[in-house]
Amino acid sequence: MLALALVLVVSSCGDDDGPEPTPCAVPVISSNSSNLSVTAGESVDVTFNVTSECGLASATVEATGGTVSQAGDTSGSSITVTFTAGSTAGAGSVTMTVTDTEGQTANATAVITVTEVPSTPTVEVRGEITEDVTWTADNIYILDSRVTVVDGVTLTIAPGTVIKGNEGQGAAATALLIARGGKLMAEGTAELPIIFTSIADEIDPSDIAAGNYVGTLEPTAAGRWGGIIILGKSRISASNDNGDVTEVQIEGIPASDPNGLYGGDDDTDNSGTISYISIRHGGTNIGAGNEINGLTLGGVGSGTTISNVEVVANADDGIEFFGGTVSIDGALIWNSFDDSMDTDQDWVGTVSNYIIVTPNTGSAFELDGPEGTFTRGEHNVFNNGVVYGGPDIDHIIDWDDNTNTSITNTYFFGITAGNVETFGGDGEGESTGWETDLTEAGTFFEGVTDGVLTYDIAVGAKTVGPSAADFAWTWAGNSGALAELGL
Amino acid sequence: MKNLKIILTLCLLGLTQLTLAQQGTVRGTVIESAIGEPMYGVTLILKGTNNGAISDFDGKFSITAPAGMYELQASYIGFQTIVIRDLEIKPGEVVVIDQIGLVEDAANLEEIVVTAEAIRTTEAALQTVKRMSTNVLDGISAESFRRIGDSDAGQAAKRVTGVSVEGGKYVYVRGLGDRYTKTTLNGMDIPGLDPDRNSIQIDVFPTNLIDNMIILKTFTPDLPADFTGGIVNIDTKDFPDQKIFDVSFSVDFNPSMHFNSNYINYAGSQTDFLGFDNGLRQLPTGYDLANAPNPFNSTDTQVAQFLNEFSPTMGVQEDNNLMNFSLGITYGNQLEFDNGHKLGYLFTGNYKNNSVFYDDAFFGEFQNDRNPDEIQFQRAATSQGLLAENEILLGGLAGIAYKTYTSKYRFTAMRLQNGVSRSGAFDLIDDEDAIGKSGYDGISENLEYNERAVTNLFLNGEHHINDDQWTIDWRVSSTWSSQDDPDIRKTAFTRINDNYRFAAGAAGNPSRLWRELDEINTQGKLDLINELQMFQNDAKLKFGASYTYKERDYNIQDFSINFFNGEQLDWTGSGLEVWTDQTIYPNGPVYLVSGFSEPNPNQYNSNTNNLGVYLSSEFEPISKLKAIVGVRMENFVQRHTGRDQLQNNVLENDIVLENLDLFPSVNLIYALGERQNFRLSYSQTIARPSFKELSFAQILDPVSNRIFNGGLFAIDDWDGNLKSTDINNFDLRWEIYQDRGQNLSFSGFYKTFDNPIELVRLPQAQTNAEFQPRNVGNGTVYGLEVEFKRSLDFINDKFSFYGNFTLVNSEIEMSETELRNRNNNARTGEVIDDNRNMAGQAPWIINAGLAFDNFEKGIDAGLFYNVKGKTLVVVGGGIDPDVFSQPFHSLNYNMNKVFGSEAQWTASFSINNILGDQLEQLYERSFSSADENSAKATSQIFQRFSPGVSFGLGLKYSF
Repeated sequence: MLALALVLVVSSCGDDDGPEPTPCAVPVISSNSSNLSVTAGESVDVTFNVTSECGLASATVEATGGTVSQAGDTSGSSITVTFTAGSTAGAGSVTMTVTDTEGQTANATAVITVTEVPSTPTVEVRGEITEDVTWTADNIYILDSRVTVVDGVTLTIAPGTVIKGNEGQGAAATALLIARGGKLMAEGTAELPIIFTSIADEIDPSDIAAGNYVGTLEPTAAGRWGGIIILGKSRISASNDNGDVTEVQIEGIPASDPNGLYGGDDDTDNSGTISYISIRHGGTNIGAGNEINGLTLGGVGSGTTISNVEVVANADDGIEFFGGTVSIDGALIWNSFDDSMDTDQDWVGTVSNYIIVTPNTGSAFELDGPEGTFTRGEHNVFNNGVVYGGPDIDHIIDWDDNTNTSITNTYFFGITAGNVETFGGDGEGESTGWETDLTEAGTFFEGVTDGVLTYDIAVGAKTVGPSAADFAWTWAGNSGALAELGL
Repeated sequence: MKNLKIILTLCLLGLTQLTLAQQGTVRGTVIESAIGEPMYGVTLILKGTNNGAISDFDGKFSITAPAGMYELQASYIGFQTIVIRDLEIKPGEVVVIDQIGLVEDAANLEEIVVTAEAIRTTEAALQTVKRMSTNVLDGISAESFRRIGDSDAGQAAKRVTGVSVEGGKYVYVRGLGDRYTKTTLNGMDIPGLDPDRNSIQIDVFPTNLIDNMIILKTFTPDLPADFTGGIVNIDTKDFPDQKIFDVSFSVDFNPSMHFNSNYINYAGSQTDFLGFDNGLRQLPTGYDLANAPNPFNSTDTQVAQFLNEFSPTMGVQEDNNLMNFSLGITYGNQLEFDNGHKLGYLFTGNYKNNSVFYDDAFFGEFQNDRNPDEIQFQRAATSQGLLAENEILLGGLAGIAYKTYTSKYRFTAMRLQNGVSRSGAFDLIDDEDAIGKSGYDGISENLEYNERAVTNLFLNGEHHINDDQWTIDWRVSSTWSSQDDPDIRKTAFTRINDNYRFAAGAAGNPSRLWRELDEINTQGKLDLINELQMFQNDAKLKFGASYTYKERDYNIQDFSINFFNGEQLDWTGSGLEVWTDQTIYPNGPVYLVSGFSEPNPNQYNSNTNNLGVYLSSEFEPISKLKAIVGVRMENFVQRHTGRDQLQNNVLENDIVLENLDLFPSVNLIYALGERQNFRLSYSQTIARPSFKELSFAQILDPVSNRIFNGGLFAIDDWDGNLKSTDINNFDLRWEIYQDRGQNLSFSGFYKTFDNPIELVRLPQAQTNAEFQPRNVGNGTVYGLEVEFKRSLDFINDKFSFYGNFTLVNSEIEMSETELRNRNNNARTGEVIDDNRNMAGQAPWIINAGLAFDNFEKGIDAGLFYNVKGKTLVVVGGGIDPDVFSQPFHSLNYNMNKVFGSEAQWTASFSINNILGDQLEQLYERSFSSADENSAKATSQIFQRFSPGVSFGLGLKYSF
C-alpha cells in the first residue's frame, strides 16, 4: 500500500524586472489543497487560488499521471479543475498557468498521490460451516475445499457477491454443498446477480456493481472447480445396494461424510431461496469419474425457491435433478460439456422460462425417470423454452422408457446434429407446442409424434420461449451472445 | 570385525581353492531315524583307512581321502551301525550322502549295509522335517520346483496341500487369504507389497533363490500369533555341501502370444528391461504438485516447462514381441579350514523376461436388474480388446555362512526387482439402462507400469552349548519393500456423432496417476532351547522373545488433463495425439490439474510395534505321546498418521490399537508306529486390522475406482470401533511315512472366528463402489486334506503317483448391512441365505502328478495337474452380483534329462496349459434359493483371458 502522503509544491514566480513597467502586479497563484490523493482511475477536484490586479486573460492546465479538465470560470479568486487519475499508482500533478491581461504569467503545480485501486479483500473458506453466516459483496469468497453448510445452518449471500472456487479435482475439488437441513439464501437481483466462478476469473464485485457481468475467462473454459450441490429431504426414487431406498449418497462424496446424503419424506422441505445466480466454469471431477454439475439438486423440496439461474461452461451437466419437488423459474444453460438438463429418480417439479445454448458432447435433455419402485405417478415439466443445438450436441432429447417428463412450448433451432432419442413425450406427461426453424423432421426429430412440432418458424417468428431481455443479467445476455443467435 | 575380514579374504581365496590333487571329499548328514533330528558325535570312518570324522551339532560331517572306492561306516553307542557301500570318491570332487539315519537298538547291533545310490534321496529331507515337526506342516522343496518346472514361488506354492494362489500372487491357506495367512522369509516377517492387503505378493520370489517353502498350519508359541490359515515360510538357499557353478538358460514359446505383430506396448524407459524405471515416469520435482502450474497461476513458459517434464506418450503403439526367456547363474562352495571350521558361500542371480499378450481380454460390469422380476443380469459397462504385458523379474542373493563345532553364523543379502509394463487398448460400452450409468461408447488406451522391489538383509547365529543341552538361536532381519505405480495413464475417447471427444461426463478426460507404497520391516528374535528330562524322558524347554517394527507409507498423487477454454482438437482416436508440442499449453489447450491437496487425504503413514515373549515345553507325559504345551504373549501397538478429505478427523501418529494378548497352544503327537503319527492340536490366534483399516481415511483409488473409508468412522449401525479378530483353531492329522518317499496323510481342521473383519460395501453410495472394514458376524472354517505319494511298482518302480486333495467349507454370517442389501435386491420369490463363503476360499483344490524318475539314465519327467473349485472372488450383495473364479484346469508336462560325459548338461522341455483352458471370472447369482432355481441367470463375464498353450525349452550347464 502506498502511503497517503501529499507532497505539495507550490512555486510562484513573476517577471519582476520587465523592460517596461506594467500597470499592475504580476498575478499570484497557489494551490489551496493539501494532502491531495486519489485512487487510480478516479477523479479529484484541484483548486488554485489566484490573485491578479489586472484580471486574468487565460488559465491553462497540464497534468501528469492523469488527465485534467480545462479551467472554466477564471474571474474568481480561485479556479477549480478536475483531475482524473490514470490506471497506474504513483505521483500525479496538475500545473496551472495563468496569464493576465497584460500578458504576465504565473504558474503553480499541485502534486497528487495516485493510490492503487483497493482490491476487494478475499476470504478463504474451507471445510464445514457450522454457524449462520452472511457473505457480502465487500469481499470475494474463495472456496478452498468442499465447503459444507451443515444441518440447521444458513448461509446468506448478499446481492453482487462473487464466490470463486480454487482449482482442483478429486479430493481437492472445491464446491459449495448445502447438506440436508442446511439453507442457502442467495438472493441476487437482476442488477446485482451473485456470481460463482473460478479463481482464475478476475471478475470483481465492482464489475457487477458497474453492470458488467462478463468474466475474464472464455465461456468455454470448463472444469475449473466444482459447483453448487443442494441436498434436501424430499422423496426420491432410488435403487442402490439397499434396494428401494429413501436416502442415498450424492455421487463423489465418500459415504463416511453423512453430509452427502439426500432424500427423505418431506416433499415441502425448504433448502432456502436462490435467485439471480450465475455459476461458471465448474464441473471438475470430484472422484471416481463423477463430475460435479453446475447446480445439483438432490431431493430438494418444493419449499425451496429457485429462480433465475445461469450455468456457463460446466464440464458436466448444467442442472441435474435427483428426485425431489423443487421448481425453477428462469434458467439459462450455456456451453455445458455434458447434458444441459438432467433428470433422475422421479423429480416432479417444473422448469419454466429456460434457454439452452450449445450443449457440447452431451444432450440438451437427459431425461430419466424413477430408479426404484417408488413413484409419485406424476411428471415433471419443462415449459416455455428455447434450445440452440450447435454442432457438438449428442442428443437433443434422450428419452427413456420410464421418463416422466413433458416438454412444452419450446423452440428448437441451430440443429445440425443429434436427435430426439425414442420420443416418449406423448404418454404420461404429454409434450406439445414445439417449434423449429427446420422444414422437416430429418433424422433430428424422427419419431416425434405429429402435431407436437411446428416446422419452418424463423427465430424471429417463434411464438414460444422466454424473452432474451429477461436474461440481461446473465453473462450470455450481457455479452451479446444471445443476441448473436437472434434471441 | 577382524574375524569378518579374515572370513572375507578366505572366501575370495576360496574361489580358486583346489582340493589336494588325487584327493576327494565325502560330506553328509547323520540323523536319528526315529525323531529325524541331526545326531551329534557320531563316528564316521572310511573302512580300511584312518580317515574319519565326528558329526557336528547339525549332524554334518566331512572326510577327505584319496580317490577310490570306499565303504563308509557310521556308528554310535546304542545304535545300529550303518555301512554305506560303493561310495566312490573322485579326485577333486565332493560326494554328498544326504541323510544317514541311525536306528536306536541296544539288542541288535548288527550292521545294516546299504548302497550309496539308495540313500541318495532328495525329497526325503523335507519329508523328515514334516514327520518330526511339532507343527502340522506341508511344503515343497527346490527339487520339486525343478521337477515340475515352476519358476516363481506363486506357481510352486499351489502344489502344496491346502494352498491355493489367487491371481498367481496371493496365497490362501485352507481357504483363508491375506488377512489370515502370513508370509515369512527365513522365519522372519517381511513387509507387504499391496496397498489393499497385508501380505506380500509371492510371485516376486524366483524359485531358484529358494531352498524350500514350508507352510506351517498350526500355531506353536515360538511363532507370531497373527496367522490362522498358515505361515508360508520361504527359506532361501543355504550354502552347498559341494561346489556348484550352474548356468542356465530357457525359453518359453506361446504361439497365441509371441512373435505377434499386433502386440502393443508403449515407449518406456531405457532400464525397463532390468525391471525398474530410470526416472522417465517419475513425477517432476521442484514443483508444488498440489497446485500444479497451470495457465491461471503461472506464466506460459512455466506451464510449458512443467508439462515438458512429463513423458508425452499417452497412447499405445503396435509392435512385435519376443518369447519368454530366462537366465540363471549360481555359484557356491564350502571351504574347510585346518581347525575344522567351515565357510560356505553362495551367489545366485536370476533374470526373467516374460511377454504376455491377450488379443481378446474382456472385462465386464453387470448389475442385478432394477426390476425384481428380471432374473437376468443388466449390463452396466464392458471393455474388450488387447492387453499386453512385459514382465521383468531380476533377483540376486548372496549368502555366507561360517561354522565352528558349536556355532553357526549366516548372513544373506537379497534383492528382488520386478517391473511390469502393461498396455491395453479397449472398446468401451457404458449402458445407460444400468443404474448410475450415463450411457456412452468409446475407446480407451491404458498405460501402466508396476515396479516392485524387495531388499532383505538377514543375520542369524546358532549356538550349541554344554554338549548341545542348550541351543541359542538369534536372528535379525530387515526388509525394505516398495511398490510403485508411476504414471498410470488412461486416455479414453467418447464417441459422439462419430467424432472422438474427451467428455468429462462420459468416458472422462485423460488422466495420469502416481501411486507409491513403501514398507520397512525390522525384526529381532531370540530362541533358547534347553534339553532336559521330564517324566523320565527327554524333553525340551523352549522360550524366547521377538520384536517387530513395521512402517508403511502410502501416497496417491493424481492429475487429469484439462483443456484450456474447453477447446478440443480434431482427435482421430489415438492416445498418441494428445500430448504433443502442438497440443500442450501454450501452443495447444492441454494442461494438467491436480487431484489432491496438501496435506493429501490419499496419503498415510502407519506403524506397528509388536513385542512377543513365549514359553513352551515339549515332553512325553506317557510313552509314545509327545506334548508341546505353551503360551505366547504379544504386546501390539499400532499408530496412524492420516486424515479425511475435509480434515475433520486428523491422526498424527496416534495410537489406534493397543493390545496385550495371551495365545495358548497345545499340540499332541502320538506315535502309532515308528513312522506313523496321530496329531491333535488346539491354539488361539489373532487377526488384526491392517494399516489403513484403523484410520479416518477416505481414499479414492482411481485405479480400482473404489473409495475406501477407514474403519474408525461411525456410519449407520457401525459404531466405528474396529476390533481384532480372535480365532480358535482345532487340528488333527493321521500320517504314515514309508520308504522311497511314499506317504499318506489325512488332516482335518476346524476354526472359529470371533468378530471377523470384512470389507463391507456401503449401501448409501449409489454410483461408486465404496467400502469400509467392519467386524461382521461370526465365521467358521472347516475342512479335510488328503495327501499321498505312491510308487507304482506294479508298472515300474520308476513311476510314482502323488496327489493332494483339499476340501474346505467356510461360512461367515452376513452383516446386517449385507443381508439387507441382498434382500432388497432379491429377485421375486428368491430367498436369501444368511451366511456365505469367505471371499477367496476355494471349496476344493486338487493337485496330482504322475512322475517318472530314472536316476541312472538321468531322466525324470512328469505330468502335473492343478485345479481349484469355483471360488467367490468379489463379494457382491446389492446391485452388484457376486463374482466367482471358474476352475482352471492346469495340466503341464515337464521333462528333464541329464547328459554329457560328466553329467554337466541338463536339458528340460515343458508344455504348459496342455488343455488350453481359459481364465474366467463370472458374475453368478448365489447364496440364495436362486442357486437351485431352474430359471437361473445366465452367467456374465467379469473378466476373461485365454492364456493358450506354451512350450518351454531349458538348458543348464554345471561347471
